[in-house]
Amino acid sequence: MLVSLLSSQYTRFQAMAEAWLAQGAQTFGVYEQGRPLAYWPAGQRMLPPDLTAAIYRYDEVIGELRLTGLRDEAARQRLQAEAGLISYIVQLEHELQCMTADLVTSQDQQLALYRLTQAMRDLVTIRETLQAVVNEALRMLKGRAGFATYVAANGGEPIVVQSSACGLNNEVIWRLYWQLQTEDRPLLLREDDGDLRRPPGVHNLLLLPIRVRGMMMASLGIIDRAEGFGTPELKLGRAITDQASAQIERILLYQEMVEQARLRSEMDLARRVQTDLLPRTLPEVAGLDIYAYSRPALQVGGDFFDFINIPNHPFIFTIGDVSGKGVSAALLMSMTRTALHSKAQFMPSPTPASVMRQSSEDLYNDFTRIGVFATIFVGQYDHSNREIMYTNAGHAPVIYRPCHGKAELLLADHTAVGVLPVNNFQNRYLAMRPGDLLIVATDGFSDARNADDELFGIDRLLAAVDELAEQPARAIADGLFSVVDRFSAGHPQDDDQTIIVIKGAAL
Amino acid sequence: MEMKPRMVGNVAVLAITGRLDANTVPPVQQWLEQATGAPGARVLVDLSETTFVDSTALATLVSALKRCQQGQGEFALCGLRRPVLMIFELTRLDKAFTIFVDADHALSVLNA
Repeated sequence: MLVSLLSSQYTRFQAMAEAWLAQGAQTFGVYEQGRPLAYWPAGQRMLPPDLTAAIYRYDEVIGELRLTGLRDEAARQRLQAEAGLISYIVQLEHELQCMTADLVTSQDQQLALYRLTQAMRDLVTIRETLQAVVNEALRMLKGRAGFATYVAANGGEPIVVQSSACGLNNEVIWRLYWQLQTEDRPLLLREDDGDLRRPPGVHNLLLLPIRVRGMMMASLGIIDRAEGFGTPELKLGRAITDQASAQIERILLYQEMVEQARLRSEMDLARRVQTDLLPRTLPEVAGLDIYAYSRPALQVGGDFFDFINIPNHPFIFTIGDVSGKGVSAALLMSMTRTALHSKAQFMPSPTPASVMRQSSEDLYNDFTRIGVFATIFVGQYDHSNREIMYTNAGHAPVIYRPCHGKAELLLADHTAVGVLPVNNFQNRYLAMRPGDLLIVATDGFSDARNADDELFGIDRLLAAVDELAEQPARAIADGLFSVVDRFSAGHPQDDDQTIIVIKGAAL
Repeated sequence: MEMKPRMVGNVAVLAITGRLDANTVPPVQQWLEQATGAPGARVLVDLSETTFVDSTALATLVSALKRCQQGQGEFALCGLRRPVLMIFELTRLDKAFTIFVDADHALSVLNA
């Protein structure tokens, strides 16, 4: 240290020496550990000093100035002052060197962190990320081994990652993790502190929490750094765990987006199943004016309607609602609709009660196993009597309005399919002369809500039917949809809304 | 929706406040699955503070009823308000369930 100052500032030291010699000194020298580094006049044999002044770096003596030929107080003070100044400069020089070293280290670390970020950018799993963090942290912190843990907030499988030389068993690692959870701050376990939390065989250990979305969900541990862990390692460790936490958050966000996209496509599938299976054309049946429409909710439910209209076969229509939402409801809906359709189409002389009875037998066990049921209305038009024969298994609302009467609600005669093992389905009859009106809707209408959480309800529905009754079937359905929409303005549609309107027409 | 479970004698009682629909039904379903799982379970659902039930909620109650019956247990409802009772009547579920006017009456029968 003194040597380098001397060599860089040699002329100044020389000037100092010449000033002493001019003042009557015989020799002047700079010494380190008793050995001369430089002395003046050159070639002069060094004499025992008359005056010395120590050069310090902080509290440590690193050299001295020696003088012969003068021994008065003024010379002593001056020599002291010069030694003091040199000490001060040596100290500054030392600090500058330390700062430069720190700067280089921190540049190295920044570069390493940048590499870590780059390396992690393409990782899509948390395990890969933890692995990369352990590897980079080992390299940057110069540890012998390392490990990382992760506990998912949603109860997924916890993850432990270890470097090859780690050799700790998972139980020990989890114990350290819970220790970290309790303390909620970085832990430095050192051999010299005799810290008992240190696992056997480990000399020193730096444990850092990794926070994800404000919660400690992961940790990083670095074992056995030869020089021990100090504040710079702690700082660097924090920088590494900050990177890790940002990357884990990115991965979680990505996973959530993928999950949402999956749900969305599942919902799209449910909606397609529902809308694609519905009849695309309205049946033309002499003596009836028919309209039907189904509008799925955002969260698709299990509504359906169907027509069986083939030559030399009675006209049969079905409408129903399978409980539940989404893909499962859509699948059960298509199963129910198919069961009804095949019975209605292929039974030799079907009636609503027999179609319902046989379908119910087919469906009951499956429905029970899954824990769902379906409300179903089956109707059949008898042209010769101008009557509709029907069976209602728990379906609501069903509204009948005779040509000159008031709209009334028809209660179901039986429980929904899937509720009771045996249902004694019976046929009921409604006149369907010109102007008579039958509306079978699903609970998406009566259960529609407005922004104040009020239900649309049956009474409003009946009133709307009375008001619209003179219109043709399609206008009645459109009118009911718009009345419900006006009512529930500002509140999203909770459930599917499906409606069949059948009106007696002139022949 | 808020749920208050309690035990009265041998009967597990669940009181439900507010709207019971597809969005709020999962915790109720979970409770019912547990309560009706044991053979001979006696379960009462108190709907006196329930303002609305949709078809998903009805399905949950129905499957609880069936599970209870499979285990030779008893499952009952009580305290249905007018609009809720109407949903049961409309769908004829009043025929499938044992329905009591209030919890006291239900408990005196179920605990007998």
